[in-house]
Amino acid sequence: MGILRISTSELNPEIEHRSFRDEVNGVGAIVAFTGIVRGDDPELTLTLSHYAGFTEKQIIKIATNAEKQIIKIATNAEKRWSITNWRIIHRVGIMLPNEPIVFVATSSRHRRDSFESADFLMDYLKSEAPFWKSEKSSGQVRWIEPRVQDFKDKKRWEE
Amino acid sequence: MIKILFFGSLGDASPTLEVAMPSSVSTIEGLALWLSKNKGIPEKLLLKKGNRVAVNKKIISGTVPLKDGDEIAFMSPLSGG
Repeated sequence: MGILRISTSELNPEIEHRSFRDEVNGVGAIVAFTGIVRGDDPELTLTLSHYAGFTEKQIIKIATNAEKQIIKIATNAEKRWSITNWRIIHRVGIMLPNEPIVFVATSSRHRRDSFESADFLMDYLKSEAPFWKSEKSSGQVRWIEPRVQDFKDKKRWEE
Repeated sequence: MIKILFFGSLGDASPTLEVAMPSSVSTIEGLALWLSKNKGIPEKLLLKKGNRVAVNKKIISGTVPLKDGDEIAFMSPLSGG
């Protein structure tokens, strides 16, 4: 069982990585992904909201699926990876360009399992985790909805 | 009483509501109609394709009976990461 944290406090990927490495001591492979607020518009503020209690439940479900490989895929799907641990830290609240939003790390004995499971977790977090993103720039607020590509990315795991 | 929450862009349509269970309501569709008539939140907006509905923090699909004490969440498409 990994660690999930949803917090309004600043996310420090370096500290998370170090602490994850200490936790999985000697495992063989770690892949860590950090999502960062894009800096195209320096005036932008991003607000991420969640549904307390429900968001946590849904993410634990996604991560458990990553552990056990129970995803809705074609019937004869084989076990694709074996991970020893995972960590998901998601920021909510108001963020500025260049600030980290999400940190996802997985560990395994061999590298491929970590690469694939971290990729899987991010694809599912994007389209299945209850978060809602809005951007404010020049006084205008706009809601961000998933892109077609986000759904395609998720679908890759179901084929 | 039932509690009704609105997330994402639907949150612009209404704040969280706590109302006595309307006698005419027994399903999500019925509740959407009631919200449309009584709170001015368009039914079409609530049940738009891509939205999700949770009852007591569980995503539902199809017709689920609603009862007094339920927490209902109307959610616009999710956008995490």
